[in-house]
Amino acid sequence: MILQTALLAVLVALSVLAIALKDLLRSAIALALASLVLGIVFFRMGAPYAGVFEISVVAGLITVLFILTIALTKSGDEVRESKLANIVFPVVFVAFLAIDALVMKRLMGKVPALARGGEAGTFGEVLWKGRTLDLVGQIAVILAGVFAVLALFRQRDKHE
Amino acid sequence: MSNTWYLYLFFAAALVFAGLLGLLAKRNLIKLLIAIEIVGKGVSLLLLSTGLAKAHILTAQALVVTYIVIEVSLVATALALIINIRRQTGGLDIRSLTRLKG
Repeated sequence: MILQTALLAVLVALSVLAIALKDLLRSAIALALASLVLGIVFFRMGAPYAGVFEISVVAGLITVLFILTIALTKSGDEVRESKLANIVFPVVFVAFLAIDALVMKRLMGKVPALARGGEAGTFGEVLWKGRTLDLVGQIAVILAGVFAVLALFRQRDKHE
Repeated sequence: MSNTWYLYLFFAAALVFAGLLGLLAKRNLIKLLIAIEIVGKGVSLLLLSTGLAKAHILTAQALVVTYIVIEVSLVATALALIINIRRQTGGLDIRSLTRLKG
């Protein structure tokens, strides 16, 4: 459990780093490392399929997409971030962490969640029998994403 | 079990809040998308930890896998939009989009 807590702390640190770093390439790499740590956490929680998806798709494919976009938009002028936000961000975040540590334990009993009760079978059975509609939705979402990207990168017609 | 669930909830809330702060504070479009990704990471950690605590890990896993697939589609579309915005306005600043208002 100590190792798991350390991994989660590293995950939060890397995520904050991904937001706070000025260089876009470095923050994309910090995001990839955060996904890798989250995938390891998923494995240790006993969810290997979610871990595999997190590491291969989020840490791999999304990082490639981010780095590609950063390379394509590199020569643009620098965006000037507000200086006030750079000071306020860490202060508010630390204050939130303190409130989180104080309140969350008491809040937990009041939040409704899934009823306790065992489930049987393997991951494949649950996914294909219990959540078939989700799979159909996933196929539709992937198709919609492909069409959206195609529409966005479409070349202009000559007579326009 | 409830003790470990508390830890996961604590870290998931920290991730979501870090992402929200990034969304409020940053002006670079790519940074904003990275902040959205971090909110998503917090939500998927929350889903799986709740599944673990309530012995529904397989359902939670199915939901997280669905979310990851949707996330990829979202990121591809948003990055294509960002590239087009960069072509139109010549920069990545979110404030340059205020010119769109009628």
